[in-house]
Amino acid sequence: MRMLAVNNINVYYGKIHAIKDVSFEVKSGEIVALIGANGAGKSTILKTISGLLRSKTGSISFNNELITHTEAHKLIAKGMAHVPEGRRIFLQMTVMENLDMGAYIRKDNYKKDIESVFQRFPRLQERKNQIAGTLSGGEQQMLAMGRALMGKPSLLMLDEPSMGLAPILVDQIFGIIKELHESGTTILLVEQNAEKALAIADRAYVLESGKVAVSGTGKELAASDKIKKAYLGG
Amino acid sequence: MTEFFQTLVSGLSLGSIYALIALGYTMVYGIAKMLNFAHGDIIMVGAYAVITTVMISEAIPGIVAVVISVIVCVVLGVTIEFFAYRPLRKAPSLTVLITAIGVSYLLQNLALLIFGSEQKSFKLDFFDMIKPIYIGKVYINGITFLTLVVTVIIMIALTLFINKTRLGKAMRAVSEDKEAAELMGINVNRTITLTFAIGSALAAVASIFYGGAYTYIRPTTGSMPGIKAFTAAVFGGIGSIPGAMLGGILLGVIEKFAENAISQWSNAIVFVVLVIVLVVKPTGLLGKKINEKV
Repeated sequence: MRMLAVNNINVYYGKIHAIKDVSFEVKSGEIVALIGANGAGKSTILKTISGLLRSKTGSISFNNELITHTEAHKLIAKGMAHVPEGRRIFLQMTVMENLDMGAYIRKDNYKKDIESVFQRFPRLQERKNQIAGTLSGGEQQMLAMGRALMGKPSLLMLDEPSMGLAPILVDQIFGIIKELHESGTTILLVEQNAEKALAIADRAYVLESGKVAVSGTGKELAASDKIKKAYLGG
Repeated sequence: MTEFFQTLVSGLSLGSIYALIALGYTMVYGIAKMLNFAHGDIIMVGAYAVITTVMISEAIPGIVAVVISVIVCVVLGVTIEFFAYRPLRKAPSLTVLITAIGVSYLLQNLALLIFGSEQKSFKLDFFDMIKPIYIGKVYINGITFLTLVVTVIIMIALTLFINKTRLGKAMRAVSEDKEAAELMGINVNRTITLTFAIGSALAAVASIFYGGAYTYIRPTTGSMPGIKAFTAAVFGGIGSIPGAMLGGILLGVIEKFAENAISQWSNAIVFVVLVIVLVVKPTGLLGKKINEKV
């Protein structure tokens, strides 16, 4: 089943044409990766899907509902969560308060979900009353992901989750993404670390200066000479 | 010694008024990242709302006039935000600043048109109902006592609201990062409206105490306490709620002691203190410098 369909979007920053006629889709249960160099437009696409930016053309639909013009704050209730680039946790709030904000729209008792976030990220439990700004980069990424999970998303969009992390933490984060996927969450992953992303992705789209240059399954792309040369360091 | 405490009491009372107004400046700055220079004039409107209500009929109790004044100010603050500031959400900050100054002149001139330029006496029935009290030899009149008590209650309530409630936390989230807050499902525009509403309600309360202390109002009544409260907010660290409380109280106390020592210099001394604080600690007393992690 098609969960997310992005159809022919064009996004501008003032006069700069950042996204050109991009179309792609994410099926329920998939991990789809958007890879490409810095500035190729990966983050812009995620921001457009989550309503922070608007496309001049085309449409975006989520679970067969048109969300092209839906306000950003209404999307989480529809089951979409976006972990933005640079984590963007609330640095002056505690870890617990950040998780509360992730559950902002929920009217039910979400204590159990906090427990399960803590089970997934034990470091967060140890630091639950600490101000988020004092966490390390890896812990902040965990908090950003935990916060997004509090909204019980069916689609989790992750923007550069490995950015600025030590290799051992990158492995850990990718391990968690896999686990989340296995537990039934559909994932749209934006990454510069193409090797890691292609290794776990069912399908991937390669972006070059705002356009989809190549697409295919993770395996196909990882094996392609062209992709290897351009993104996998040889 | 009596004189010291007497001055301290009047300083605390004046400082409470500044603090209530400064909270409006600082909360709006924290959330909308703008300096709402029309905020001082909300006090003036609040005071006129009170005397107009009382003028309609002497039978209307003062407390009803206060409630009406709060409602008028909240509606006004929210309306100003909607029509004047919201369309400028993405405009350069200078544009917004000039708009705010424009709104301030608009309010003053509307008041001039409606109420005339002569000063009007400000009095409410419950001012005399509270009997003056003596602590030792220190005299505290009814309105001063009321100012101190109500301000303390409001500060505690506001602190609890901001730190403990869902909406209060949402306000903090919006003030830190609007986009991230939006992604959490927080309606940022509605949160900004709420902030203006709270700020304006506090200004209405401040107008009662200000009117009570100075007994007369005129269309420009809001400017001086407005600018002093803005100073207090900067003094305490703009954007910081405890900062506005502390800054307001300190400013009032400093002003009263300065007035006692060399009366005609009191305003100058207040601003010299501000300059010194800003030179030593540019973020204000409780302001935090945020180092963003990239």
